[in-house]
Amino acid sequence: MKRRTFLQLTGMTAAGAALSGCQSGNEKLIPYLVPPDEGVTPGKAEYYASSCRSCPAGCGILVRVSEGRAKKIEGNPTHPVNKGKLCAMGQAVLQELYHPDRVPQPLKRSGPRGSGAFTRITWEEALELLAGQLRTLQREKATDRLALVTPQLSGTLAELTTLFMHAFGSSHHLSFDLLGPDWLRTATRRSFGQPGLPWYDVAETRYLLSFGADFVEHHLSPVQYGYAFGRMRQGRDTVRGHFTYVGGRMSLTGASADRWMPARPGSEGILALGLARLILAESLFDAGSLAANGLRAEELLHSLAAYDLSRVAGETGLAERTIAEVAREFATTRPALAMAGETVAFQTNGPDAVRAVQLLNLLMGNLNRPGGVYPDGGSRVGPENSFAELLSLVAAMRGDRIRVAMIHGDPVHAIPPATGFQESLARVPFVVSFSTLMDDAALQADLILPDHAALESWGEVVPLAGTQHRVIGLMQPVVTPLFDTRQFPEVLMAVAGKLGGRTAAAFPQQSYLEMLKGAMEKQVGHKGMDFEAVWVDLLRQGGLFETRHDQEKDYRRAPGSPLPIPAEPRFAGDEKRFPLHLLVYPSTAFYDGRGAPHPWLQQLPDPMTTVVWGSWVEINPRTAAELGIGSGDLVEVTSSQGALRFPAVIYPGIRPDMVAIPLGQGHRGGGRYAKERGANPLALLALITDGTEHQPAWHATRVRVSRISEKGELVTAGHPQGSYRSELIEI
Amino acid sequence: MSEHPGSSAKSALQLNDELLSSLRPPSLRWYGLAFFLGAVVAWGLYAFTYMVTTDMSCTGLDRPVMWGIYIVNFVFWVGLSHSGTMVSSILRLSQANWRRPILRAAEAMTVFTITVAGLFPLIHLGRNWVFFYLIPYPNQRGLWPNFRSPLLWDATAITTYIIGSSLFLYLGMLPDLAVARDRSRGWRRKLYTILAMGWRGTAREWVIYHKASTLMAALIIPVAVSVHSIVAWDFAVTVVPGWHSTIFPPYFVIGAIHSGVAAVITLMIIIRRAFHLEEYLTPLHFDNMGKLLLVIALLWSYAYFVEVQTTWYAHEPIEWEVFSFMAGNYTPALLLMLFGNSVLPITALCFKRLRRSIGAMLVISLLVNVGMFIERFLIIVPSLSHKNMPFVWGTYRPTWVELSVTAGAFAGFALLYTLFAKCFPIVAVTDVRELDVREASVPFGRTKVPSVVGKE
Amino acid sequence: MFPLLRYEGGRGSYDIRTQFIGKIMEKQTSPYKWGMVIDLDRCTGCGACVVACQAENNVGICDKKEISEGRNMHWLRIERFWVGEYPDVRVRFLPVLCQHCHDAPCEPVCPVYASYHNPDGLNGQVYNRCIGTRYCGNNCPYAVRVFNFYNHEWPKPLDNQLSPDLTVRSRGVMEKCTFCVQRIRRAKEDAKGEGRLVRDGEVQPACAQTCPAEALVFGNLADPHSRVARLSRSPRRFRLLEHLGTHPSVYYLKGGGREHV
Ligand SMILES: Nc1nc2c(c(=O)[nH]1)N[C@H]1C(S)=C(S)[C@@H](COP(=O)(O)OP(=O)(O)OC[C@H]3O[C@@H](n4cnc5c(=O)[nH]c(N)nc54)[C@H](O)[C@@H]3O)O[C@H]1N2
Ligand SMILES: Nc1nc2c(c(=O)[nH]1)N[C@H]1C(S)=C(S)[C@@H](COP(=O)(O)OP(=O)(O)OC[C@H]3O[C@@H](n4cnc5c(=O)[nH]c(N)nc54)[C@H](O)[C@@H]3O)O[C@H]1N2
Ligand code: SF4
Ligand code: SF4
Ligand code: SF4
Ligand code: SF4
Ligand code: SF4
Ligand SMILES: [Mo]
Repeated sequence: MKRRTFLQLTGMTAAGAALSGCQSGNEKLIPYLVPPDEGVTPGKAEYYASSCRSCPAGCGILVRVSEGRAKKIEGNPTHPVNKGKLCAMGQAVLQELYHPDRVPQPLKRSGPRGSGAFTRITWEEALELLAGQLRTLQREKATDRLALVTPQLSGTLAELTTLFMHAFGSSHHLSFDLLGPDWLRTATRRSFGQPGLPWYDVAETRYLLSFGADFVEHHLSPVQYGYAFGRMRQGRDTVRGHFTYVGGRMSLTGASADRWMPARPGSEGILALGLARLILAESLFDAGSLAANGLRAEELLHSLAAYDLSRVAGETGLAERTIAEVAREFATTRPALAMAGETVAFQTNGPDAVRAVQLLNLLMGNLNRPGGVYPDGGSRVGPENSFAELLSLVAAMRGDRIRVAMIHGDPVHAIPPATGFQESLARVPFVVSFSTLMDDAALQADLILPDHAALESWGEVVPLAGTQHRVIGLMQPVVTPLFDTRQFPEVLMAVAGKLGGRTAAAFPQQSYLEMLKGAMEKQVGHKGMDFEAVWVDLLRQGGLFETRHDQEKDYRRAPGSPLPIPAEPRFAGDEKRFPLHLLVYPSTAFYDGRGAPHPWLQQLPDPMTTVVWGSWVEINPRTAAELGIGSGDLVEVTSSQGALRFPAVIYPGIRPDMVAIPLGQGHRGGGRYAKERGANPLALLALITDGTEHQPAWHATRVRVSRISEKGELVTAGHPQGSYRSELIEI
Repeated sequence: MSEHPGSSAKSALQLNDELLSSLRPPSLRWYGLAFFLGAVVAWGLYAFTYMVTTDMSCTGLDRPVMWGIYIVNFVFWVGLSHSGTMVSSILRLSQANWRRPILRAAEAMTVFTITVAGLFPLIHLGRNWVFFYLIPYPNQRGLWPNFRSPLLWDATAITTYIIGSSLFLYLGMLPDLAVARDRSRGWRRKLYTILAMGWRGTAREWVIYHKASTLMAALIIPVAVSVHSIVAWDFAVTVVPGWHSTIFPPYFVIGAIHSGVAAVITLMIIIRRAFHLEEYLTPLHFDNMGKLLLVIALLWSYAYFVEVQTTWYAHEPIEWEVFSFMAGNYTPALLLMLFGNSVLPITALCFKRLRRSIGAMLVISLLVNVGMFIERFLIIVPSLSHKNMPFVWGTYRPTWVELSVTAGAFAGFALLYTLFAKCFPIVAVTDVRELDVREASVPFGRTKVPSVVGKE
Repeated sequence: MFPLLRYEGGRGSYDIRTQFIGKIMEKQTSPYKWGMVIDLDRCTGCGACVVACQAENNVGICDKKEISEGRNMHWLRIERFWVGEYPDVRVRFLPVLCQHCHDAPCEPVCPVYASYHNPDGLNGQVYNRCIGTRYCGNNCPYAVRVFNFYNHEWPKPLDNQLSPDLTVRSRGVMEKCTFCVQRIRRAKEDAKGEGRLVRDGEVQPACAQTCPAEALVFGNLADPHSRVARLSRSPRRFRLLEHLGTHPSVYYLKGGGREHV
C-alpha cells in the first residue's frame, strides 16, 4: 500500500479510538513496574475499525496499532452484530497477520505436487505465468476449462469474482463452504417462500428450544448469539429465559441448557412434529398465527396424527414424560423460539426436519415477533445448492474438462474426500492458490499468489444472519503489508488487465479499492453530496450500519408449501459392522479448520474436553467401558471410507450409540503450529445425501471403534479425576 | 562405667596416638573414597549448572506442585543437623560420660548437614543469580526483604544455626587442636597453631573452657529447636491442605531429632570401623543411644498419629482428599516410612541384644533416615498435588537433574566429612583423657573429686 | 474512603475480621477497590476471554509438551466440571483468574515483596523483583499463579504483536492475572488529567471487554453505585473458597435456573 494512503488512514483513526469505549490510546516505551504512584506520561496508540472475516458472521473489530504494529483486536462497540464483543478466533486474527510461516512472495512449484518444494518468483513472472495459461485457454476456445473455487463470498468480492469468470467465459465458479447455510436458505424458501436467513431474537425470548443449533460455537453468528444468550438469561430483571437443547451430543451450546434431550440422530424432526401434534391436540397453539398463515388446526392435527407420543418417544429414545413437559413448556411460555441447526440439517431427512422445527415457530406465532424469528436484514440471498455445484465441478475435473483451477481458501482440507474433490483436483494440470500460508491447498498448487492477511486488506463484509437490519462491515488495512503479497481481487484485476479484451473491459476501475468505494457509494445512495467525507466516516465507524427498519418481507407460510414429513433416516454403513453414529462437529476454536494455524487457538483448551494441541474422539463412558477404552487411549475409528486414529476422551455428554470428533485438525500444511497435528475426520465421512435435493448428510455415517494402545498422547488442561469433583469447591 | 576400657593401663601418649590416628597420612583407600565422592559432587554440580543455564523446565515441578525434592532435601538435612548439637549438648548437660568419644563426630555432622541444608533453598530458586534480594542490605532502591515471609525466618534461623554450631564445634575442639599442634609439623602445624589460638592448657584456661562449653551447650538447644520449628512454619502458616496444621513445629522437631539421633548412631558405627575405636565406642554406647532412639521413635509415632487422627476425625473434604490421595498413590512409600520410623525401632529397640548389636543398630538407624526422607516427601508433594482447586490437580516426579543434585548433596556431605576427619581429631581426645584421668583416681566415679581438669 | 463492609455488599460474609480490614482500608487514600463479578448463568464457556487475556498480556505460547507437564501459562482458565451421569449429566463452567484477595495468601509469603497489595486492592506482581521461590504459587489456594519454567519465545514476526505496555517475563519468575493493570493505570492517568475519578465502565480488562455473554463485569467495588458493586450484592453471589477468609475481589453469581442454585 502506498505510504500516502497509509498516512491518510492514520488520520481516520481518531474516532476509532474514541469508539473503543475502553481506553483512550495511551502508549509508553518502558514497562510498567507496578508501583502505581509513578506517573509516566505515555504516547499514543491508534485504533482502526475493520471487520473480521474469520467466519461468515463478519463481526466488527477495532485494531489497536502502535509504532505501525497491530497489538490487540477488540470488538467494535458500535457494530450491530457483535457490539464490542469477539470470539476466540476473532482475537487470534492477529496471528494470521504475524504468522511466522506466511508465504512471503509468489511461489512456483519446483518439486512434485504436495512435496512443498517451491521457488520464489516475482509478481511480474507470476502474473505472466497465470495469464499465459489463461491465454492458451482463450486461444483454444476452451475458456470454460477454467475453474475458480472460493468460500461463499459476499459484496464486491462476490461480484468481482463472478464478473471475472463471466467475462473470461467460464461457468465453473464454485463458492463452497462446508458449513454454508444453504440448507437453511432452502428450507426457509420452501417454508416461507423466501431464502432470507432467519434472525432469532434470542435476547428477548423466554423459552429457547434448540434442535442442534450450536450458536455458541459457530451457528450463523456466534458472538451475536452469545451476547443475546447472556441477555436472555440475566438481562431482564424478572425473567430468566429457559433453554432446552436437543441433540445426541451435548455441545458447548447444549452445556448451557437447563434441559438436555439426547434424541437419537435423525429423529429430531420427528420430535418436532411430535411436539407440534401435542400442542395442537391440547390446543395450546396460536390460533391467530395459524389463520394468518392459512392453516387449519384440525387438518394439521389430522395430518400429524401419526406422531403420537409413544411413537415419538420410541423413535427419539426419549421419555414420554419429558417430551410432553417440553411441549407444554414451549407452548405455554411466550415468547418462545425454536432453532434448527447443522446437526439436524446434515441428516438424510435434514431438510424436512429443519422445516418441522420451523413449523413449531409458525404454530406458536413466533414469526416476525419480538423474542421470535425475523428474516435477517443483511444476507437476503445467497448460494442454495453449492453442494450440487461442488459435485458437478468434481465431475468436470474427473472428466479432465478443467485445465486451470484457481483456489482461494483451503477446500483441500475442508471438503470431505468422499466427494472426490481432492483426487479429481490432482488431475487438473495447473492449480493456482491464493493462500497466505502454505496450507493444504497451497501444497497442491503449481503457483501460489499469496493474498494479504485480513489486517492488510481492503474489503467489505456482509454479516451472515447477524441482524434484523442491513449491515455492511468494512475492512481496511491497519498496517503496511509485511511481505511482498497482493490482495486476491487486485490479482484477478491485474490478470484481467493482462488478458485484455472482454475480460479487461469488465474492470474499468483502477483498483479494487476504487471498486469497493463505488459499491459503497451506491449502497449509501446519498446523491450529490461529497462521498469522500462519507467514505472516511464509514471507515471510521467500521462500515454502514443502518438503523432504520427497512421494509423487510416478513416470514409467511408459502402458499401450498407441503407439510414437512421427515423420512426414515438413512445411514452409510450397516449397523452390524458399524454400530456407532459418527458426529463430526466444527470445533469451537478452529471452525472448519481455518483457526488451526494460530497457536493461541491451539493452546486454548477445548471448552468441553479441555484438550489442547490435538484432535480426539468423544465416547460415552458406558460404551468406552464395553470396548475396554480408557481416557487417553489411542483408538481407531473405522467407517466405510477408511480408518483414522485418535486419542479417546471419555465424554459423559454423548449418547452411548454415538461418537463425536471435532473438525479442524489434521492439516498437511498450514504452518508449524497446525502441520500434521491430529487427524481430519472428514476423511471418514461417506457421501450420502437426502436423495431428493442434493443436501449432504455429513452426520449420517456409521463407524466402529477399537482400542489400539494406551499411547493416545492426549493432553487436557483439566485434571481427569478433578474434573468430576466440583463438590470440593462448592460451585 | 565399669565397662569402660581399663585405659588406666595406657599412657597418655598411647591414648593420643590412638585417638589422633585419624590424622595419619591418608591411605590409598582414603584417596579412592575421596575421589569417588568428588566425582559424584562434580556430577551434581553439572546438573545444577545445567538447570541454571537452561531453565527450570528440566525439573519435575509444575503447577500445582511447585516445591519438590529440593525442599524435601532442605527439610531432611535440617533434620539431620539436629544430631550433633542436640545430642552432644543434651549429653553434655546430663553429664553422660559415655558421650565423650562421639561428641566431635556428632558436632561436625551438625555443621556440615546444616550447611548442605542451607544450600537447597538457593538451589531451588527460579533465579538463583539474584538470591541476594533475600538479604537485607541497604540499596538505593530502598528495597527490603519481607520479614513476614517464613523464608526470611528460615534464612535468619539457618544462618544463626550455622554460626552457632560451628562455634560449638570449634570450641570443643580447641584443646585437641593444641594437642594436634604439639604433635604435628609442616603445614599442619601452622594450621593448628593458628586455630589453637595459643592454648596451653593452664588450669584457668580449662575453667573458662568448661564454663564456655556448658554455656554453648545450653544456648544451642533453643536455637536448634527454633530452627526446625521455623522450617515447620514454612508449611504450617500456609493455607495448603495437609500443611496448615498446628502440630507441625513440635512434630518436625521430634522428627528432626529422630533422624539426628539415628544419623549419629550410623556415624558412630562408621567411625568405629574406620578408625578402629572399638575400645572407645562400645556396645554400651550403642545401648544408650538405642534407648534414646526408642524414646524418640515413640514420640514421633505419637505425633504422627495425632496429626492423622485429627485429619481423619475432622474429615474436612479437601484435607481428607489430600490424605486419601497420599495413602492411595504412595502406599509403598507410606508403609516403608511407618516401618522405618516407627514399627522397626519401637519393636527392635526394646531388646538389649539388638541395641547392643552393631549390625542391628546400623540397619535400624539407616532405615530411620530412609523413613524420614520419605516422610518429608509425603508431607510436601501429595499436599501440593491435590490442593484446593480440583481442576488443576497434578503430580510430581523428580527428574535426573533433581536426583543428581540430591546425590551430589549426599556425596558433598560425606566428602566434607572425610576431609574433616583427616584434618582434625574426630574423637575428642582431651574429653576422653579427662574422663580417663578422673576414672583412674576415682574407681566408682560417682562422688565429685576435684581433679587437675577441674569440674565439669 | 468506603468502609469494607460497604463493598462487602452489606450482606452475609463480613465478620469482625472483615470490619477490621475495613478500618485499615479506610485509612488508605485510594477511592478505588477494583473487583469483578462473574455471572456463571451467562458464561457459556466459549473461551474468548482466555485468548483475549493472552493477547493483551504477552502471555507465553505454550506447546503441547509444556501443557502436558502442567505448565500452561494462561492467566485465566475456564474450569469445566462434569456433574451426574448420562443422561442426567450437566456441565459447569467456572472462569478462574486471580481473585485479587484482600487477605492474599500469596503476599505475606513472598520474601522480596514481589507479590504485594496496592491501595486499589490489586494484588500486584513485580517481575523484576521476583526471585522464583514459587512459595506464593503454593500458597495461592486458587492456583492462578503460573511460573515461567520455560523461557518463552515469539518466533518472528509473531513478536510484533507483543504489547509494549508490559514486560515479557523472563524464565524463573512468577506471573498471574493483574486485572490488566496497564489499562487501569491508563484510565487513572486520563481521569487524573481531567481532574476526575475513573467512570464506571471506563476501564475494562481484556477478558471482560471481549466476553460475548457479558458474564464478566469489572469495576470499582468502592463505589456502591457501580455496576460491579450492585451485582456483587446479588442474592446469587458467592466467592470461591470463601471459608479460607482470603476475601477475594472476585464475586461469582450462581447459575440461575440450574438445580445447584
Ligand atoms: N514505571 C516505570 N517508570 C519509570 C521507569 C521504569 O522502569 N518503570 N524508569 C525510570 C527511569 S530509569 C528513567 S531514565 C525515566 C525515563 O523517563 P523519561 O526521562 O521520560 O524518558 P522517555 O520518556 O523515554 O523520554 C522523554 C521524552 O524525550 C523525548 N525525546 C526523545 N528524543 C529526544 C531528543 O533528541 N530531544 C528532546 N528534547 N526530546 C527527546 C521523548 O519523545 C520523550 O517524550 O523513567 C523512569 N520511570
Ligand atoms: N525499550 C526501552 N528500553 C530501555 C529504556 C526505555 O525507555 N525503553 N530505558 C533505558 C533506561 S533509561 C534505563 S535506566 C534502563 C533500565 O534498565 P534496567 O535497570 O534493566 O531496568 P529494570 O529492568 O526496570 O530494572 C530492574 C532490574 O533491577 C533488578 N532488581 C530488582 N530489584 C533489585 C534489588 O533489590 N537489588 C538488585 N541488585 N537488583 C534488583 C531486576 O533484576 C531488574 O533487572 O533501561 C534502558 N532500556
Ligand atoms: S464470530 Fe466469526 S466473525 Fe465474529 S469474531 Fe468470531 S470469527 Fe470473527
Ligand atoms: S468469554 Fe465470557 S462466556 Fe466465554 S468463557 Fe469467558 S467468561 Fe465465559
Ligand atoms: S488469587 Fe491467588 S494470586 Fe490472586 S491474590 Fe489471591 S492468593 Fe494471590
Ligand atoms: S515466586 Fe516470586 S513472587 Fe512468588 S514468592 Fe517467590 S519471589 Fe515472591
Ligand atoms: S483481568 Fe486482565 S489479566 Fe486478568 S484475566 Fe482478565 S484479561 Fe487477563
Ligand atoms: Mo534510566
